[in-house]
Amino acid sequence: MLIKVPVSWLREYVDITVPIDELALRLHMSSTEVKGVERPWWGDKIRTARVEKLEKHPNADKLQLATVEYGAGSPKTVVTGATNLKEGAIVPYADEGAEIIDGHTGERATLRGKPMRGIKSEGMVLSQKELGLSDEHEGIHLLDSKLPVGALLREVLGETVLALELQPNRPDCLGVVGIAREVAAILATSLREPPLERLGDQPPKGLDVRIEDEQACPRFAAALLTGVRIGPSPAWMQARLIAAGMRPIDNVVDITNYVMLELGQPLHAYDHRKLRGGVLVARQAHRGESLRTLDGLDRLLPEGTLVIADAERALGVAGILGGEDSEIREDTTTVALECASFEPRGIGRTATKLDLRGSSGSAAARRFSWDLSPELVPIALARACKLLREHAGAKVEGVVDRYPNPRRRVSVRMKFSDVPRVMGIDIDRAETLDILRRLQFTAAADGDTLVATPPVVRTDIAIAEDIVEEVGRIAGYERLPIRIPDGQLPLAERHPLEEFRERARDGLAGFGVQEIVSYSLIDPEWLKQLTADGSPIAPEPLRVLNPTTLAQSVARPTLRASLLDAARRNLRNRASVAIFEIAPVYLPRRADLPEERWTIGMLIAGNAQPVKDGETWLTAERRFDVRDLQGIVDGLSDLLDVKTAGDRADAPGLHPGRSIAFAREGRTHMVSGQLDPRVAEKWELPAETFLAEIDLAVWQASSRPPRVAAPPRFPAALRDLAVVVDDATPYAEVERAIRSAAGKDLESVSLLDLYRGPQLGAGKKSFTFRLVLRSQTGTLGEADVDRIIRRVAGRLQQALGASIRE
Amino acid sequence: MAGEDLKELADRAVAEITAAADDAALEAARVKYLGRKDGALTEAMKGIAKLPAAEKPAYGAAVNDAKRRIEGALDERGRALRSKALERDLGAEREDMTLPPRRVRVGRLHPISQTVREVSRVFATMGFETVEGPEIEWDYYNFEALNIPPGHPAREKWDTLWMSNPLGDDPSRPILGRTHTSPMQVRIMEQRKPPIRVVIPGRCYRYEATDAIRESIFFQYEGLAIDEKLTMADLKGVLYSFARQIFGSDRKIRFRVDYFPFTEPSAEIAFDCFACEGSDPACRVCGGDGWIEAAGCGMVHPDVLRRVGYDPARYQGFAFGGGIERLAMLRTGAPDIRLFYQNDLRYLEQF
Repeated sequence: MLIKVPVSWLREYVDITVPIDELALRLHMSSTEVKGVERPWWGDKIRTARVEKLEKHPNADKLQLATVEYGAGSPKTVVTGATNLKEGAIVPYADEGAEIIDGHTGERATLRGKPMRGIKSEGMVLSQKELGLSDEHEGIHLLDSKLPVGALLREVLGETVLALELQPNRPDCLGVVGIAREVAAILATSLREPPLERLGDQPPKGLDVRIEDEQACPRFAAALLTGVRIGPSPAWMQARLIAAGMRPIDNVVDITNYVMLELGQPLHAYDHRKLRGGVLVARQAHRGESLRTLDGLDRLLPEGTLVIADAERALGVAGILGGEDSEIREDTTTVALECASFEPRGIGRTATKLDLRGSSGSAAARRFSWDLSPELVPIALARACKLLREHAGAKVEGVVDRYPNPRRRVSVRMKFSDVPRVMGIDIDRAETLDILRRLQFTAAADGDTLVATPPVVRTDIAIAEDIVEEVGRIAGYERLPIRIPDGQLPLAERHPLEEFRERARDGLAGFGVQEIVSYSLIDPEWLKQLTADGSPIAPEPLRVLNPTTLAQSVARPTLRASLLDAARRNLRNRASVAIFEIAPVYLPRRADLPEERWTIGMLIAGNAQPVKDGETWLTAERRFDVRDLQGIVDGLSDLLDVKTAGDRADAPGLHPGRSIAFAREGRTHMVSGQLDPRVAEKWELPAETFLAEIDLAVWQASSRPPRVAAPPRFPAALRDLAVVVDDATPYAEVERAIRSAAGKDLESVSLLDLYRGPQLGAGKKSFTFRLVLRSQTGTLGEADVDRIIRRVAGRLQQALGASIRE
Repeated sequence: MAGEDLKELADRAVAEITAAADDAALEAARVKYLGRKDGALTEAMKGIAKLPAAEKPAYGAAVNDAKRRIEGALDERGRALRSKALERDLGAEREDMTLPPRRVRVGRLHPISQTVREVSRVFATMGFETVEGPEIEWDYYNFEALNIPPGHPAREKWDTLWMSNPLGDDPSRPILGRTHTSPMQVRIMEQRKPPIRVVIPGRCYRYEATDAIRESIFFQYEGLAIDEKLTMADLKGVLYSFARQIFGSDRKIRFRVDYFPFTEPSAEIAFDCFACEGSDPACRVCGGDGWIEAAGCGMVHPDVLRRVGYDPARYQGFAFGGGIERLAMLRTGAPDIRLFYQNDLRYLEQF
């Protein structure tokens, strides 16, 4: 949580003996993250001024002319639309040329005098927004009437403010006093406690509190104050509230906010007139109970909401938001002031349900959802009572404080040697004790044992390691030496799938295919656009229950949509894509996490030449075709020593005549081919778009490290063979027949030519093969070669009805 | 022909051969002296038959000597002529070598892959094994096992994308996109016994608005080391060594206090800015304060150890975690995290 701490406020409770920048750095290193140090930027042309005279603008009903004296001896006349000015008021005045915040753009700008309805404004009286103090732009920021005229505003009103990002384990730092405690420890100076009202233990007449749910509300206290005069709070208090980021309202509300900012403990003030039965009750909301809250909304209170009620009805949502009916009004004279402790998770849950969580939520809820110490309750109440007496004329009639099950104070017993054991820094006993005491711990040595009790406001300390951190951070992490761990190294495991995956990545990149990484959460609509009829190619995906955007609302069960999307966007500005992605797809499993199935997806489309536009002088222009894709897939399989095939399977979403797929035990592990042109059209892709998907685990399982042999010692014999077969006969069958007939002396077979033509007759085609024959045991003679070729020819004729042409 | 004459013959031949101006002249000289039909030396060799037996050896030796000299001269002159011809050709042939080549297509690994590998490689030098784990996780591993029970205020640090299984959800076991790689700390400790040194790269998810430095889907790396005597100083050393290997040997490292529910003590580590070394108040890399926040880290919380059955009185160790994209951006000057996932090839081809 981001809080703003005005330095002048901090100085009230601790002596700051170093420059503010150094303090900020030391807090940042040892205590709480410092987001920044904000300094007043108002220049010499922004000063306090007194309104001497107010007149109507002669040419405009909604404008006034204010004559202001700002110490220069010659009053200036400014035109203003504000309605809250009075003669004699002290206001911030900017002379021409001053830098202010432009009320419309919110940016810094230089003030230029310009005529408004015919009268030139010689300067400007400023709102809080124009001073950069808040977003308040309705009226002029009225200053303390005791301020001198003509003073530099930055000197009388300027605050240096520390912007601190707090972590939820440190609710004690939610108040200025908590930060002061840290500063005192870091700088080894002493802390001053805030002045408190002495509260007797006399319960007030006409006010009682009751806890119905002791788990949700462990402590509940209230004070009754009479004779309250509602009015503005003192200017210094308003200035601090503004500097800390809160808007002043009236003295009573301002004081509750002031105490919250000072101690971290929120309070709530009720108009005692509205309390039926003179009682405040912490109880669960009744079913169907509703409440109009301070923000003017009528809210139905969800089940499990803790409310503060009177004898008859809910007055507010406990710890989160007050109700409108019992709020402080201008004529309030008797105030019931609530100060309580709530169970943080319940506050968090309710704030979430009411949409009052997070930075836009209620300031009280954000604090109560952290584990504030119940011990703060009487302190904050006494502090508020003192301020109400001093600044709102209040008389404290009495206080009631219910705390049925006081929290046990934590005390940590540990060895002094635990500090070096965990930190690896030698911090001795004396230093350990000194640091803990600076942090207001009670710390004592008992032989080798350290007994440490944190201050009551510290709810984050429970175990020895917590104490170690306290000592370590205040001693300074910069004292940590740099060590490289020694000791026994663990036995490492092999990771065959990951190793294989990385070889595949390198292989594809080596083949000239560019790797992409796309979002693993996708638009569910994409999955309906992967086949011509919209039927799915993958199982129904896992859904994100609270997606940030519909475009990222399901866990992709296929890589295909991501590839098509990447190709589509790239082809808008280039002639060619060759891309691949290796990532898991997420396949739901019953009563389990999804299977994360690592998959290779690749896509090629467009110009096949590896060149950019217009650099094709050496290479004839051509487009990628399905053989290019197959080349990459085969090359990868070759590189990775993969031996797979399996059964032919369907390839939904691909061109039925130009695709191939293989499955093993019902699991399709490879599809490759041309995208169905109807699908291509949906994705604005060229009809000739080619893609392949490979199940990495299946390929890896079939990959065998090659069994190598020495290079051949005997010469090879080459024979070319033309084989005429029916057009319907697949090439693979012919090749398989050749291989099986030729036997072990066939080293390789390659296709030299594929021919269809009139000489062959209709429905026929001719493959020209080159066979490389070689024996491991000797040189093959003519007769050996002829015998093999006759065997091959015979098989082809017999099995495939082929004719052989020489 | 006498021995003296043979020597003269050879002298004459060598002189002629050496003077031969081109291949044709050289060939003519060869035929003239060594020609099979009526080369001068061939003829001289035939004369040996007519000599008395006692003169034959001396004469034979003289012939062989002459032949060797002539052949040597032919070889030498031949080489000289070829080398001259080559020189002439090389001088004449002029290919424009600045013309574009027959290009090969170049594929590159995505910067995320490159960075993940780099991280694994560097930690491997310190004995850390790379392991991986599920991206879609149980609430238990992502939060509860890491001391972040439901309702814990620290959950706000990790705004979560919750998932629903189309085959049925179990309300008592919510699933989510892991918000960090830290659940793998628990999974690894459940599977193994100390000593442990692992680094876990992987994809993570957050419910978060994206901007130039934040993505809702991103990659992290996690480190975990458990043994009997590991301290914060060892943690500092490991991350210091990492920083040196990634950003250069003269890097400085800074630890400051931080908070994570599953480490105690906790720290945040920053490296001094490799770009400006703290000297440029407007530095694009560090934002001007001279330090680059790189990772959260700390000593594994005793409760986390206890939950996986380790005895915190015997074992202790550290964990750390940082962003892969952030490293990639720092190393390459990549301006906007979102560009990594837009897969514009004009961008990716630069890495």
